[in-house]
Amino acid sequence: MSDFSGLRIALSSLYAQRKALQVTGQNIANVNTEGYSRQRVEMAADSGPVTPAIESRYSGPGMGVLTGDTSRLRDQFLELRGYQEHAVDAGLAESQNVLSRIELAFDEPSDDGISKLITSFLAAFDDVANNPDDLAARAQLVEQGKTLAAGFSALDAALATQRSSSINELDSLVAEVNVSAARIAELNNNIASALNNGFSPNELMDERDLLISQLAEQVGVTVRPAENGQMDVFVGGTALVRGTRANPLQVEVGTDPAQTVRVTWASDSYPAGVAGQAGGLLSGVNDVIPRYANGLATAAQELADAVNAVHRTGYALDGSTNRDFFTAASGGGIEVNPAIAADPRLVGAAASATATRDGSIAQQIAELSGVGDRYHRLVVDLGVESQAVNRRVEVQAAIIQHVDAARESAAGVNLDEEMANMLQYQHAYDAAARFLTAVDQALDTLINQTGLVGR
Amino acid sequence: MSSAFRITQRSLSHATLAGLQGNLARLQETQSRLSSGRAIQRPSDSPTGTMASLRLRTDLDRYTQLDRNAEDGKARLGTADNALTDGLALLREVRDSVLQGANGSLSATDREALASQVDGLRASLLAVANTKYLQQPIFAGTAGAATAYADDGTYLGDAGTMSRTIAPGVKVTVNATGEEVFGPAGDDVFKVLADIADDLRTNPSELTTVDLGRLDAGYLRMQNALASVGSRYHQVEIMQDRNKANQLDSQNQLSEVEGVDMPATMVELQLQEVAYQAALGATARVIQPSLVDFLR
Repeated sequence: MSDFSGLRIALSSLYAQRKALQVTGQNIANVNTEGYSRQRVEMAADSGPVTPAIESRYSGPGMGVLTGDTSRLRDQFLELRGYQEHAVDAGLAESQNVLSRIELAFDEPSDDGISKLITSFLAAFDDVANNPDDLAARAQLVEQGKTLAAGFSALDAALATQRSSSINELDSLVAEVNVSAARIAELNNNIASALNNGFSPNELMDERDLLISQLAEQVGVTVRPAENGQMDVFVGGTALVRGTRANPLQVEVGTDPAQTVRVTWASDSYPAGVAGQAGGLLSGVNDVIPRYANGLATAAQELADAVNAVHRTGYALDGSTNRDFFTAASGGGIEVNPAIAADPRLVGAAASATATRDGSIAQQIAELSGVGDRYHRLVVDLGVESQAVNRRVEVQAAIIQHVDAARESAAGVNLDEEMANMLQYQHAYDAAARFLTAVDQALDTLINQTGLVGR
Repeated sequence: MSSAFRITQRSLSHATLAGLQGNLARLQETQSRLSSGRAIQRPSDSPTGTMASLRLRTDLDRYTQLDRNAEDGKARLGTADNALTDGLALLREVRDSVLQGANGSLSATDREALASQVDGLRASLLAVANTKYLQQPIFAGTAGAATAYADDGTYLGDAGTMSRTIAPGVKVTVNATGEEVFGPAGDDVFKVLADIADDLRTNPSELTTVDLGRLDAGYLRMQNALASVGSRYHQVEIMQDRNKANQLDSQNQLSEVEGVDMPATMVELQLQEVAYQAALGATARVIQPSLVDFLR
């Protein structure tokens, strides 16, 4: 133990407290930074040489303080939980979005929805039945029929538009994911070299964590720490980022009739098990929207079949019969038989060729019960599904809030705490400086004041 | 700093914001329900309510149409009722003429006068038989003829019945065919009236023995037709009233399902406003201070 070791102890403390003060300052500076994890200087007492040897024994109080790494206070398990829950939340939000847009398109219950068009259409048949040889009533019926067919096809078109816009959204989402993945690979590289060169990579790690949490929302990821502080990111069990290499994703639209959309790996076109926003979009594009489009087509077809079955038995004003009221439209869906649309006299309202003032067939069609039932059920199914998703979103929001609070609790900056730390480090710094002065004075006494006896 | 749940400025502001957002979202929902006056704005607001609403709306539209059908039926039956009343009056006049003609003291000139009067009544009855509703002869069945009877008394219509749906599953015949009202072709009242005119001129002895009986039979037939038309008119009226009651009922149910309970919603809005203001006040107090304010 040398006489100067006190200086060394004081110096190590000054260094340590100053660094701790700086880190406190950094924490305060980033109190509102998204994704920032609070940092702490790890200090350890320097006990001096601990292995005694015959001629080298250390009997001093220690060698001061060791300033260790600046560590990030972040709970990795909470982070993983957060990734999972955020992925679920993002997926549900996307489903909710899709369903609510479908609900808007259906616009039920209202005075403008298809349900209203169906009843108006059937009522028009009753008007024809009341005045079978009134051409105005027939023309009105044809118009109602056209409006109904147009209502179905407009809704179908709205669903198709929604689907294609969802596919576009998925495209840009995947592009964004690829950029993030490339950046994470780059960060992995930087972090590894920073560690190898002895720099602190904490801020780089924070940026990487932020990107990963975004990826978790976008495609649902799991992570696994790799060597040299690197982090591997997996989507559905396959590596999106492994070390310093990113593995990009792509969107493929199938050539099958349903045009199934898939997210695949660009390297081998193998489907990727995406969740999160991408998962929600995929289920919207491949399941929800086609399901309602098909349901709608079935409802339209069943209505057309039911009307046609009766209408075929009816006689037109010119005595002709066995004519469909609705025919298949060229672009899919139904339309009013072009012949009837051109000449409303061809509406088969009568039960016989000669009874031109008979409207009993039109009357039968007007009385068809349950032609709108399939459509009503579709709307109610939509309501049930949408409501279920809304509830799940609410529940998930509560979970998210809890998980985020827990993450924030571990990693967030509390200003009160930083203030307290600041005082603590400041006082420690003052004390260390005072100690340095004391040692200095002791040495001064020893060097300058000793041996002066009798001078 | 060990196990206690750390609360940070950020988590505090997040939680506060989330709470305020929730308050505001509830306010907005209540507000939109109030301003639209509808509790169900999209199916997910209440799937069961949506089902009821769709059914009730369909019912309402159906009742409206049934009411129109009934109006049409009433108009047709009313027209027939008037025509038949007129027809019966004409037949009573004919009967008077027959009874007068049967009086043996009448001269040939007097009988000729009576005969031409009967001819005139027959023409009037033909006009009654050709009564039209919306350009359609009401006694011609469902045939597309322009008139029910030709000038010579030939029936141009058919035996078709017209019915109107006036309530779910309830149909009422709203016409009476010429044959039902005026008798089978060849032996209808027009033939009887023509025969009476002939007999007045040439063969007055048959007036009481044959013609009066045939005339009375025709009168009875027309009277029965009138009674039947009248009772059907009444039936339509009753069903129409019932439809109106049902319609009102459906309307009430619909506003119960779809409508907003105004007082309750207003109170709810008030409560939410209070909650929101309280949250804002609390936030203003909680967010501001930190240790910084108290360190010197």
